Amino acid sequence: MSDSWAIALILLWDAAVDGGCGAKDIPGEGGRVHWRMTALALGGAVACSCASAQPLAEDEDLALIYGDKSTFSLATGSKQSLRRAPAIATVITAEDIRAMGATDLDEVLESVPGLHVSRASVRFASLHFMRGIVGGGQSTPQVLFLQNGIPVTTLFNGDKGVDWVGVPVDNVARIEVIRGPGSALYGADAYAGVINVVTKSAAEAPGTVAGLGAGSFGSWSAWTQHGGTLGPLEVAAYLRVGGTDGFKKTIEADAQTRNDRLFGTAASLAPGATNLGYETIDASVNLAAGNWRAHAGYRQRDNMQTYTGVSSALEPYSGGRVEHFVGDVAWNDPQFATHWGLGATAAYTAYSFVYPGNLMLLPPGATLPGGTFPAGMIGGPNQWERQLRLSVNAAYSGFAGHSLRFGLGHDDLDLYRTKTYKNYRLSAAGAPIPTGPVIDYSEIQPFIRPQLRKLNYFFVQDEWNFAQDWALTAGLRHDRYSDFGNTTNPRLALVWDAALDLTAKLLYGQAFRAPSFNEQYGINPVANGNPSLLPETIRTLEAAVTWQARKDLQLNLGVFLYRMADLIRLVSNTAPAPGSTFQNTGVQRGRGLELEADWDAGRSLRLSGHYAFQRSLDASTGQDVGYAPRHRVYARADWRFASGWLVGGQLNRVTDRRRPAGDARASIADYTTLDLSLRSERGKGRWEFAASIRNLFAADVREPSLAPGLTLPNDLPLAPRSFYLQAIFTP
Amino acid sequence: MMSSRACRRRATAWLCLLLLGVGMAAAAALQPSRGIAVLYPEIGEPYRSVFARIIQGIEEQARGPVTSIAIGASPNSQDVANELRRKDARVVIALGRNGLKMAASLERGMGVVVGGVVAVAEADARNFTVSSLAPDPALLFTRLRGLIPTVKRVLVVYDPAQNDWMIRLARQAAGARGIELVTYEASDLKTALLHYQTIVATMESGRDALWLPLDSTTVHEVAVLPLVLQEAWKRNLAVFSSNVAHVRRGALFSLYPNNLEVGRNLADYALGYLAATAPPRGMMPLKAVQLAVNVRTAAHLGIDTAGKQAGFDLVFPEQ
Repeated sequence: MSDSWAIALILLWDAAVDGGCGAKDIPGEGGRVHWRMTALALGGAVACSCASAQPLAEDEDLALIYGDKSTFSLATGSKQSLRRAPAIATVITAEDIRAMGATDLDEVLESVPGLHVSRASVRFASLHFMRGIVGGGQSTPQVLFLQNGIPVTTLFNGDKGVDWVGVPVDNVARIEVIRGPGSALYGADAYAGVINVVTKSAAEAPGTVAGLGAGSFGSWSAWTQHGGTLGPLEVAAYLRVGGTDGFKKTIEADAQTRNDRLFGTAASLAPGATNLGYETIDASVNLAAGNWRAHAGYRQRDNMQTYTGVSSALEPYSGGRVEHFVGDVAWNDPQFATHWGLGATAAYTAYSFVYPGNLMLLPPGATLPGGTFPAGMIGGPNQWERQLRLSVNAAYSGFAGHSLRFGLGHDDLDLYRTKTYKNYRLSAAGAPIPTGPVIDYSEIQPFIRPQLRKLNYFFVQDEWNFAQDWALTAGLRHDRYSDFGNTTNPRLALVWDAALDLTAKLLYGQAFRAPSFNEQYGINPVANGNPSLLPETIRTLEAAVTWQARKDLQLNLGVFLYRMADLIRLVSNTAPAPGSTFQNTGVQRGRGLELEADWDAGRSLRLSGHYAFQRSLDASTGQDVGYAPRHRVYARADWRFASGWLVGGQLNRVTDRRRPAGDARASIADYTTLDLSLRSERGKGRWEFAASIRNLFAADVREPSLAPGLTLPNDLPLAPRSFYLQAIFTP
Repeated sequence: MMSSRACRRRATAWLCLLLLGVGMAAAAALQPSRGIAVLYPEIGEPYRSVFARIIQGIEEQARGPVTSIAIGASPNSQDVANELRRKDARVVIALGRNGLKMAASLERGMGVVVGGVVAVAEADARNFTVSSLAPDPALLFTRLRGLIPTVKRVLVVYDPAQNDWMIRLARQAAGARGIELVTYEASDLKTALLHYQTIVATMESGRDALWLPLDSTTVHEVAVLPLVLQEAWKRNLAVFSSNVAHVRRGALFSLYPNNLEVGRNLADYALGYLAATAPPRGMMPLKAVQLAVNVRTAAHLGIDTAGKQAGFDLVFPEQ
């Protein structure tokens, strides 16, 4: 111990000398020790003694109370909402988002280690590739999205829904990302990971703020936010409207180009520009009073264009409209009785996705073996869903060293209405036959009929502190589905607090993904639903170490191994039957690591970053599953000017994306992007300004198109350099 | 399709601007309640929201909007004085150092309540009612007893120039709870380090606890905190702090402001001035507090927090 104190004294002396703050009467030591300590002192010791001698800056009192701004953000926010369980997790606060200069949720999520946000060819939908789990490169229902703790999973596709594009972050208090399985607590689809977006409470958005923004590609937005009280109620409200024309990048060849070659037509609009316009409405209200909480969120995306087309054929004609409402009322009394806490939640979600003017599948003049479509091949798959989720939970702490949680619930998951409009019928082999004008095919040949799924479940979890600095958490959840049966998923976590600054975790978990209604009941000869499907399953083993290397430097290292089984894939029907059907088949294995560093290099400079590696193989082919980068490097710097400006920069390098089996194209090119942001922290009067440049060097950024690449051979281009400016007004 | 799209977008934009305009006009139309004015520092996020929340609490307690004037780094005091006269302000709630500086420059006769600061100079404390953001030691000791019922002694190293007033309160609070408060004065970091060395060597697990006050001299983030926390971990000693960030780094617990409640309390003082029952002048510690606990440290010290977490407002580590 005495050595430590001696070092501290020397450090102090060095700091004093370097900072000229007096206290030079401490005898120093020369040579190596002195140099070592001087280096240590540069970490920030200089500031302290001097600070008291000078007038305190306005924010120094608050810094003294709250410490760093990250802690501040937590301390002034609402209580953490993720049900606590040991996991490898990232929490991104509103302050982090501000520093990042992000305006869109997916920009924020790209900063999470092990998570790469890719894009689908349909509507530019975001794909969340977590640790190489890519969902076949088409959608990623293996990641569970929550809004204020409520699943937003839609039933037809099993993913987060079409509305999660251009999701603003002005109203986001916190984003909690768990990597790894979470079905033992969250149930279905907490498979590769869980993303919980928490909106701001009245405490997190006090007063009234309004903002206007505009940027490249005709993007604009206007929003207002208010936090206050209404009698005993704490109220936070948010409304934002916006829109974009979307970036225009050339698609050199598309699916219709291939059709044109085969049938001697010239219908394709390729080479041509991507179509990515849409208009947005985002609204939310959060209420709180005593033990009661209520959230209501509404999101609408209208005139939503299809990027490269739903059939990978360019078309500027279609505009979809999606509406998603997510609401819940929760009561929670953590001290209901001695040793007992009790809570209950009722949640309701409504989702609709329609094409009011129908959907252009192939452009006018397209010819297929079944005939020609002079007005284009047109479809109109429309769907309406509603979900009711009821749950109760209890916590018991009456056994020394144990912390028990129980819960049970019931979900009604209802795809209650579907409508199919189109100008063709499908032959038994799945070939489209033109039938003239667009008519209602809902009874004749729908894309799916209404479906109802019911679910009952219970879970139990015990956190047992069995020795000093050792804890074992064991959890288990049992789900009983009305359609595909039962599934039970355990989770074990061993946590060792090895030292003040060092924690090690060993985690094991099983999880499942419920088959979507499309996979179970879809009516399409080329992609037949299969009511006998079972869930996809995964077993994951993880180890993680968190080391607070210095006051201002935290390092995290996580490694993982997983094995996926019963993958739900399209399998060609046995000859002579034509078409394909969804089947449980195949195994995928993966492994990787994530290394993170977060360094407060000074009071005004923060550096952070990570390196992530993953390698995922399809067991049947022995080849990479493709799509996701094997290596990714992300680095970010936030620098606060003394004059009240915040400058941020982030660099994202995505490398080594292989093609899956059956795709003969060369590996997709690596890319590096650099984004910059500038934000006034003490704007003129009541105005605050923000500006951002994304992809500063206009790198040619592409995400992989679906294998085997016959329809979009040159992959999916992402936005070139873009700008966005915002003015924020506090009345 | 595109023309209807553009048309729709224009309509939505106009609707939106209309909404914003109506909202702002409505906000401007709200006449502030006469008598109370708030001077708050012009400061960026994230700290802006602290003052916004305090003002929200003030307005709730005052049952109506109050005149709020943002004070920049170099304000024109005459302009502010004129504005206060125009608004018929009779009491000023000065928030933050800029607010305090401006309030101090105003003519005498106007009641001044100060908030949103840790401590002020003695002269300001004599003239004004000052509600500090430093947590009341009585509340700290009560929480300490709640977590460690066996604790008998609290040790603290402080700089008299910064925390003399706080230690006076702490002595009373400790005495009332049967806790022995052992204090060490240090007006420089060297002395403080020597005291900490002695303290940590003599502390007894379960009986003693070390308190880290809001003191920029004796609680050095680099030279003191890591060593204190490391030694405390090794020897199972309890450390609690008045700085919530220390809990994130391994201190057992801290109390930090409930800013809405802080605003309500400030409004009560201001209303007292208006009702001719002026509150006492001088420094008052923070009583509107929230509790942050490091459950990892608690488990290490053998404290079972499973049944107590309901009362924790903030729990570290985050995962």
